[in-house]
Amino acid sequence: MTMAEALQPAEFAATAARAVTACADLDVREQARHLAGDGLLGVIANEEVGGLALPLGFAVPVIAAAHAGLLGFPLLETVLAGRLLQASLTRMAGAIVSGETLATIAWQGEAAAERDGVALVLSGTVARAPCAAKVDYVVVRMDAGAAALIPTDAEGVVVEEAAGLDLTVPEHVVRLEKVEIPVGSMLPAGTWDLLSSDANVLRAAAILGSAEACLALAQEHASTRRQFGHALSYNQAIRHALARQKLGLESIRHAITRSLTGDGGPLQRDAAFLAAATYGSSISEGALQIHGGMGFTWDVPVHRHLRRIRTLQAQGDASGLISAFGRRYISEVAPFAETGA
Amino acid sequence: MSVIEAVSTQTLAGENLTGDAYRDAMHRWLHANLPAGFRSDSAAFAPPTLQQSAAWEAAMYRAGLTGITWPRAYGGHGRSLREHLIANQEIGRLAMPESVNSIGKELAGPIILAVGTEEQKRRFLPAILEMRNIWCQGFSEPEAGSDLAGLRTRATRSGDGWRITGQKIWTSGAYRSQRCLVLARTGPLEDRHRGLAMFAVPLDAKGVRVRTIKSIDGRESFCEVFFDEVEVAQADAIGAPDEGWAAAIRVLEIERATNRMYRAWRFENELRHLISACKADPALSQMVGDRHYAVRLGEVAVEIEVLKAHVETAVEALVNGDKIGARGSLAKLYWSESHQRFAALALELLQQASLPQLAAIKVARRRFEAIYLQARAETIYAGTTEIQLGIIADRILQLSRGK
Repeated sequence: MTMAEALQPAEFAATAARAVTACADLDVREQARHLAGDGLLGVIANEEVGGLALPLGFAVPVIAAAHAGLLGFPLLETVLAGRLLQASLTRMAGAIVSGETLATIAWQGEAAAERDGVALVLSGTVARAPCAAKVDYVVVRMDAGAAALIPTDAEGVVVEEAAGLDLTVPEHVVRLEKVEIPVGSMLPAGTWDLLSSDANVLRAAAILGSAEACLALAQEHASTRRQFGHALSYNQAIRHALARQKLGLESIRHAITRSLTGDGGPLQRDAAFLAAATYGSSISEGALQIHGGMGFTWDVPVHRHLRRIRTLQAQGDASGLISAFGRRYISEVAPFAETGA
Repeated sequence: MSVIEAVSTQTLAGENLTGDAYRDAMHRWLHANLPAGFRSDSAAFAPPTLQQSAAWEAAMYRAGLTGITWPRAYGGHGRSLREHLIANQEIGRLAMPESVNSIGKELAGPIILAVGTEEQKRRFLPAILEMRNIWCQGFSEPEAGSDLAGLRTRATRSGDGWRITGQKIWTSGAYRSQRCLVLARTGPLEDRHRGLAMFAVPLDAKGVRVRTIKSIDGRESFCEVFFDEVEVAQADAIGAPDEGWAAAIRVLEIERATNRMYRAWRFENELRHLISACKADPALSQMVGDRHYAVRLGEVAVEIEVLKAHVETAVEALVNGDKIGARGSLAKLYWSESHQRFAALALELLQQASLPQLAAIKVARRRFEAIYLQARAETIYAGTTEIQLGIIADRILQLSRGK
């Protein structure tokens, strides 16, 4: 057994929490080097690129801790990109895992490619790319579920600021105007589905981290804020509201755990993200409500988590996914027949 | 032919199967033996009689599908909680009737296992599994519903035994039961949880009177039970007078997390039945093809997956020796509320079916109208939603009540 295999996922949570705290005043490149130094960028990447080659479940506490601590770095995208590129673009993957090169993923939209000799020419607009203005590469979705790695300084790449709720890891729109990339930067068909499936688990983990932080803040406020001669938590309405938030939080946690067991497949991963999107939103909004007027202020960090949860919900296209999830479920059931009921 | 004759008498309990082989054996037995008339997703469905239910459950026991984790010495199959989960997943995947002896198997039995005497274990437990004794639960009273510590039924010493006087209510299935697990007070009312004792009261004892209560689904399943100076032998006292309640609480915590473990898989069976009925109907097949109902049915499917996650996580925790504590309240709250939402959606859809009504819709309406009504009780029994929220606030979040 290697040292990495002897580790438990929970042990990474403490490391990640310390690293997040240490990253607080660093710029994005310094954060990358710091996080890489703690082995967090290559948790699931293989050893050839400097990773720890651990299962996806080990990234869950890392991502949760990063989001609980409001890390201003596209960690989810970096962790996935390092593993995504390890087979076909090994050196690039190594550079990402080591923190020397920064990468992100544009979660919305897809680009079209035309062949031009030995190169590919990409056009289109993609969006919801966290930190795209500060990274070296962006992974974009292509036709047929393929993906491509594009240098952000390539001719024809325009990275634009985008309106968005998340202030900590702001999103960008990336316009591709006849951008030439080598054929080798194209990742095969099916790549995107696998990436999305893993991303859904990590998004659920990210929401779990933020939701947990929100509930802790709400609980603290309810226990210390006094009104009508009592702590807020004296009131049944507040106690029950917090209990419902706890139910949502544990539902997210269990759904993630189940999605990572032997029986966990795409359906369970989608379910984990969809549950997280639903309960994470209600937990953060509920935490804001429990803070009363204080919850609406800039200084109380609940709104930062709420902004991130809503952004993660959009990056995973929760609205589109629940529709697809339902349609897929319905399509797999045959019309009623007595023998097949 | 009676059900007990109709079903296989093959005993799988002794077979040394594990994992997928065990699942496969349970699956095959259920599919081969469950009578079509017992399936509520079948046009042939006819609610089984008590005798038929008892015979079916006895056959399930012999096949290794109940009493799974109970020790072999007391008639159980001596298997692990993981195998209990596997069997329950297979039970849930079929639209079969609820047990008429779930109180015996999931409440009285585990309490007797925890605090009963050796003689009680040998006398009561095999009889529960073999369906010779059906049990009911005498906890709630007219003045002690959610607040059980306020119960007034009194047990006083009478020679070598006890004399019980009082009234119980919401006692599901008392009319068909041989034994009632009665919680009674041996000390003053002010003692609250102290001085509560449990008894296995035979319902044919002198002084016991059972009156059924008609419920909103038209059934007369739950009852009032009156105890008028009922003599109960010391041999039927479960645990010491001051131990019974504490032990029961420990067992109830586990039971709340693990009882009717098949629920999530049964809800999935219900969802698939609903969709299959809709797809057979011209109007509904169009509706479930639209985004609106795809989303809403998808939300039900997600909730079922989350419920499975609650159950499987609890099982793994117990298998690994962790304590469940108050966490059972999370699962109870989750399944009861999500099932109500699902049942309301099922009604909403089926009410929009085409005319003339197809057989598929008639079958589905019969099933889901009953489920809708019965689900209203699910946020009330086994601790109301408000009680579960209170438990989560008090014991999991440990919220301050300080002034």
